[in-house]
Amino acid sequence: MSTEKLALTTNSDARKPAPAGGAHNALAADLTRLLGPRKVLSNLSERLNYRYDAIQFGATPLAVVLPESTGDVVAAVRAARAAGVPIVGRGAASGLSGGAAPTEPGLVISFTRMTRLTIHPERREAQAQAGVITLAVTEAARPHGLIYPPDPASFRTSTIGGNLAENAGGPMCFKYGVTGDYVRALSFVDADGEEHHVTRDAFDLAGLLIGSEGTLGLITEATLRLIPPAPHTRTLMAHFPEVGACAEAVSAAIAAGAVPSKLEFMDRACTNAVEDYLNLGLPRDAEAVLLVDTDGDDLDTVQGELQLVADACERAGGTVRRAATDAEGAALWRARRSVSPALGRIRPQRMNEDIVVPRSALPDVVREIRALGDASPFHLVQFGHIGDGNLHPNILFDPRKEDTHAVHDLAHDIALVAIRHGGVLSGEHGIGSMKRDFMTDAVDPATLKALWNVKRALDPHHALNPGKILPAEGVDR
Amino acid sequence: MNNDIPVQTLGGQGEVMAHAVDACVHCGFCLPACPTYALLGDEMDSPRGRIVLMKEVLEGGLPLMDAAPHLDRCLGCQACVTACPSGVPYGELITAFRGWSEPQRQRSPFDRAKRAAILKILPAPKVFSVAARLGQFAKPLAPVLPAALRSPLDLLPESVPAMQPSAKLTPARGQRRGRVAFLVGCAQQALTPNFNAATLRVLSRNGIEVVIPDGQGCCGAAALHTGARDEALKLVRANLNAFNPDDFDAILSNAAGCGAGLKEYPMVLHGEPDEARAQAFAAKVMDISEYLGALLQGGTLEPTLPASRPLKVAYHDACHLAHAQGVRAQPRDLLRAIPGVTVLEVPEGDLCCGSAGTYNLEQPELATQLGERKAKNILSTQPDLIASGNIGCHTQIQSHVRRQGDRAPVMHTIEILDLAYRGEL
Repeated sequence: MSTEKLALTTNSDARKPAPAGGAHNALAADLTRLLGPRKVLSNLSERLNYRYDAIQFGATPLAVVLPESTGDVVAAVRAARAAGVPIVGRGAASGLSGGAAPTEPGLVISFTRMTRLTIHPERREAQAQAGVITLAVTEAARPHGLIYPPDPASFRTSTIGGNLAENAGGPMCFKYGVTGDYVRALSFVDADGEEHHVTRDAFDLAGLLIGSEGTLGLITEATLRLIPPAPHTRTLMAHFPEVGACAEAVSAAIAAGAVPSKLEFMDRACTNAVEDYLNLGLPRDAEAVLLVDTDGDDLDTVQGELQLVADACERAGGTVRRAATDAEGAALWRARRSVSPALGRIRPQRMNEDIVVPRSALPDVVREIRALGDASPFHLVQFGHIGDGNLHPNILFDPRKEDTHAVHDLAHDIALVAIRHGGVLSGEHGIGSMKRDFMTDAVDPATLKALWNVKRALDPHHALNPGKILPAEGVDR
Repeated sequence: MNNDIPVQTLGGQGEVMAHAVDACVHCGFCLPACPTYALLGDEMDSPRGRIVLMKEVLEGGLPLMDAAPHLDRCLGCQACVTACPSGVPYGELITAFRGWSEPQRQRSPFDRAKRAAILKILPAPKVFSVAARLGQFAKPLAPVLPAALRSPLDLLPESVPAMQPSAKLTPARGQRRGRVAFLVGCAQQALTPNFNAATLRVLSRNGIEVVIPDGQGCCGAAALHTGARDEALKLVRANLNAFNPDDFDAILSNAAGCGAGLKEYPMVLHGEPDEARAQAFAAKVMDISEYLGALLQGGTLEPTLPASRPLKVAYHDACHLAHAQGVRAQPRDLLRAIPGVTVLEVPEGDLCCGSAGTYNLEQPELATQLGERKAKNILSTQPDLIASGNIGCHTQIQSHVRRQGDRAPVMHTIEILDLAYRGEL
């Protein structure tokens, strides 16, 4: 049985603005000839809107293609290659590292109209084109008694293609794993416009493309694994007078044997930003709030695990509140999902970190980062998937009033804290352009060279999403 | 969002616009909420995209006429405001922008005449009534007319009822418990006079004296949202003169669009001498369901008689009630308070029905697609009755529900309450 998403109304006369003011460049003209005017955007008013993600603004593309099939992608890539311009793939552009923001003018391929989705319950699989909204997979699977667990905070907006490009995580990832853990096979178009279908065996080329941020190929479709949802879930919220104590409670609970399905943390600034938006009655005075779900087939086990977490929180000096109803639990999770954009209420711009550190180092890491923030002139906030050591320290700033170099320096210092404690630069948002310069601290020269060799093998002309992930090296263009 | 909007040269409305642009972090949480993004799937026709376009035009980096087609397609439903975690006042931005940009628009003589006619006819109930009657005679011609003329005819009811002027003062029945002023509205007086009649009866029954102050007129929302700022200002000032907020417990509207318009007065007059007056006025404005909902909450709403049979009522959230005014629970609570009534939730309930003021006349194709989708979603709940709190949604939903072959009555929430009080539900 299959579920087809409603096709977008792309044949509408209302869609196209008047051609006045359009950029009549050769690439746009070529693409329009190949694909027709409905799928190609060339006016400035249209192109301006494809230069940003949820953090950064980049270069205005020369043309934008909205493909409706893999064939359209192939044609677009070949045209861009012939014109010698770079190619940036894009989903809903809710990314947080500059991954979908072009660093130079070229072609943007936006997958938002490739939304075919088929559920195969007998194989527990979903076949999703790149533009399918993340939430839509679970919505389509649920009537068959299945769900798709990876759930980035942006799951109502973000696309499967974008999730794959960033190897997105989410609150469920502690127990259930990240996007890459649910991919059985991929289709992608390479830098020369050749289409490929790969599975997870042999060289696991699929694994290489997942998290490659559109620098090795353009993912057009994926076969995703589905699982039955746990029948029982319980939620608690704990709050702490100090951030390190929260991290200690997490380590202690996991050491005691709890395997929560979700373990999320937000500091005081986050809680207050969300409270300003949703007014849920969160504890505004607490320095750290922890949100925990336990789930499973057996209610006694689920409640026993929640008790282990509650005990650990109380021993660390926390105050525990159990969600009385499913609705209360859902409201708390809505709070957590809203943290990232709600921070816009504090300062108009932010530098977003995505470090992952060993869980045993968490208490020291969150305290050290807090101290860096306190010693700086900036608003620094922390939240993240603390269960697997994935923290999102964010520096909030106003570029019109504050020194952006100092912001970058502080971000660098935070990255160095993670590296010093044996951590890495990205858990789920990618390196993008924002953390590219820190790669030389995090990755040794021999390994960087190996990464460059992979890049050269799959994208010899350096056409795919240039300026991302890898710090500059001698490049043949 | 960083911007270089020249606020100094734009005055009070410039501040309104720059503040909204500042607040946007282009996170994309608004995309799934936006009706035109749902239909068209491109960034320029999304809230985030439109904010970028307005910013670029205000900064001088993009010609207005390049951005205009995308901005014109915005329904102003403000579903994105509900969805936005960063608190971007998008509604204020698009309204202020339309007011700022309209004087600079190049429009064809036909377009200009059409807009002028709409803004003359809509706020004048008597003229509207005559126009509606004339329109009825033209209805048989609809299939051969261009879309811009066909769509308003499609929305006309099969018969236009006679005008029923309301009494200037409706006394409270029994002990007087409150005194309110009432805005009678424009088009709905001509198309659905029973909305106001029912409103007066229900308020009176609850011990509320209702005054219809002289000198009141159109709320100005239609003019404001189409960019006719000077005309809107005249209407706003006339209403500020007609309604003295100190004289009333509340100033009530039973049309979501009008109520939202009245609540916008402080934004419209931001930075002008009347701003404080507008704030005092807006602080008293309530939708009828907000006011009655408060009585229900306080335990002082007169109980209704039960419905004669179990009734399933599909409640449609008008955008200007749910998104612009944040009124969601009260109308549902009022309906549920009638014994025998079950309230049904409509799939994709947050998505606009496509009516949106003059949108049907300006963007008939998109309006029709949204109307069809809304009617389909409502009918999927198999309701006995369909309720909403806005005249625009009412005509749009009625027209598309009938077109899909269903006869379920479409009513204002207050009409259902009124019937229940009279034992006729």
